[in-house]
Amino acid sequence: MGFFDNILYGFQITFQPINFLFCGIGVLMGTLVGVLPGIGPAGAMALLLPATFQFSPTSTLILLAGIYYGVQYGGSTTSILVNIPGEASSVVTCIDGHQMARQGRAGPALGIAAWGSFIAGTIANLGLMFVAIPLAYAALRLGPPEYFSLMCMGLIIVTYLAQHSVLKAIMMALVGIILGSIGLDLITGLPRFTLGINELTDGAGMIPLVIGLFGISEILENLEKSLERDVFKAPLKNLWPSLKDWTQAKWAIVRGSIIGFILGILPGGGAVISSFVSYAVEKKVSRNPERFGKGAIEGVASPESANNASAGASLIPLLSLGIPPNPIMAIFFTALMIHGIQPGPLLIKQYPDLFWGLVASLYLGNALLLILNLPLIGIWVKVLRIPYKILFPLILLFCLIGVYSINNVTFDLYVMIFFGVLGWMMRKFGYEPAPLVLAYVLGPLLENALRQSLLISQGSFLIFITRPISAAALGIAFLLLLSNFFPYFRMRRREYEKFNE
Amino acid sequence: MKVFDQLSSIFWFVISTAVFIESIRLGIGKIQNPGVGFITLGASGILGILSFVLFIKATLTKEEKETEPLFSKGRWPRVLFVLFILCVYSVVMPTLGYLLSTFILMTFLFWVLERRKIWLVFTASFLSTLISYFVFSKWLNCQFPDGLFGL
Repeated sequence: MGFFDNILYGFQITFQPINFLFCGIGVLMGTLVGVLPGIGPAGAMALLLPATFQFSPTSTLILLAGIYYGVQYGGSTTSILVNIPGEASSVVTCIDGHQMARQGRAGPALGIAAWGSFIAGTIANLGLMFVAIPLAYAALRLGPPEYFSLMCMGLIIVTYLAQHSVLKAIMMALVGIILGSIGLDLITGLPRFTLGINELTDGAGMIPLVIGLFGISEILENLEKSLERDVFKAPLKNLWPSLKDWTQAKWAIVRGSIIGFILGILPGGGAVISSFVSYAVEKKVSRNPERFGKGAIEGVASPESANNASAGASLIPLLSLGIPPNPIMAIFFTALMIHGIQPGPLLIKQYPDLFWGLVASLYLGNALLLILNLPLIGIWVKVLRIPYKILFPLILLFCLIGVYSINNVTFDLYVMIFFGVLGWMMRKFGYEPAPLVLAYVLGPLLENALRQSLLISQGSFLIFITRPISAAALGIAFLLLLSNFFPYFRMRRREYEKFNE
Repeated sequence: MKVFDQLSSIFWFVISTAVFIESIRLGIGKIQNPGVGFITLGASGILGILSFVLFIKATLTKEEKETEPLFSKGRWPRVLFVLFILCVYSVVMPTLGYLLSTFILMTFLFWVLERRKIWLVFTASFLSTLISYFVFSKWLNCQFPDGLFGL
């Protein structure tokens, strides 16, 4: 089949009633999750995953992709109207978005965020189609040493881009590797670190771990805070940005899309870092940088475009290499594994319906977000006003049901509560859960690749540096680690941490 | 943050030591043919070293501002209460059944943040339990325990 035939085939799959419905539910759920506090995209996806077991893998992935896209959009609504980012990827949007709202320009801010997201999402989809297939073909030549080095590089980038201490992020990645080794050994079948508990022979479980670390811990943290939120009350008008707004924002959208796409492909990159980088670049290239922080529309357009482009681009390493580049993609990875599909270079060839259906659903999801969400903005504002004391019992109930329904055993609930408490403590002590979750998923793959490589090389570690791709990946990882010792990078790092605070 | 870093580094050091010892017991094999405990030995070894580095770094760091208390004043008991009822729910759910145990759980959760009128709490708990049951059990075919009373 030719390229355009494949796209048409993808749209045929996406427009099947069940997939269309899942796409719609996904973007709506995603927007809701983005708007509401107390549960992030990782938690929401993990929560809904058990409910998709009876549906096809294509429908499942379409739903998850819809949530991921929707969250990026919904997060900007709270950033602009409440000055509280719904998601980490919308933190930067608060700076100029809320200032615009205070100046009576909430409508154009929301409008440009939606249009920027749509344009960036479309650019990312095009990039996904053109990059994923050649990369998958190239990946067929990669062996265990290359996979080991690429995964190491991904983990190092995740730790390097951590919002707090790099040292703590590396420690969390190591904890993730240890947790990922719980259960039966892949080669010998012997149990490891199961503490004599039968339920642990299958591992701690990705879904209880993610819901515990991201969902429960956030609820526990919120319970300690003041629950009052000051929601923007003035009527929303002029959601369509003016010609002047478009003129000011057009290059910001393009630059944000490109930055988001490039950072999204990189292992360890993601929506959060791309929004930060694009904002910094926009401020740097602006002729009037002093406008930033005072309601510059480029300050909204650029990060919102970047986080959406990054969301689409981060599917590339997963679908073509089988390596999840961030914790959200780790959930996609788990979803594929649950449905008996091994992510990797052969995925596109063996499951064209899944790949092209997913690609087409991204176009549809983007369009649905724009069509549904701009007219529905009033509803999302009302949702924002629901008191947390009503929301949190419902979110907790969904977490409990979501985890219980995986295996129908209460042990999973204990695991979730354990990781919930661990995640709560980690937040207090300044540790990030993202490297842990990514390492938890990559751990078994990393171990397998390491053991296979050492078997091939008969115990020589030189195999990792004599093969060019492997050597390059390890070299980049090493340089990133080394950069922490250079004063210039240390200064930049401190600025980044301050910015995050 | 200094004290927090010191405490957490000790915690991770203890964990890494336990994993390191267990990895040796499991068998690390040879480099030509790595054993079951090979990767965890490496990971726990590095974790131990990094926890030690964190401890030293925290000890040598001058505290710039006063450390905030670990638990916010007045609000942390409700966090403990929520954790406690979550644990109790996990234990009693198979015995009491989904409907009854979830109704009790939701009643406590709706009541914990604000002492509202009891009929309002009961109505909200009843509705959320019933709707969740129909959506997940009847529509999405999740298998919930019936419990002692067949509920």
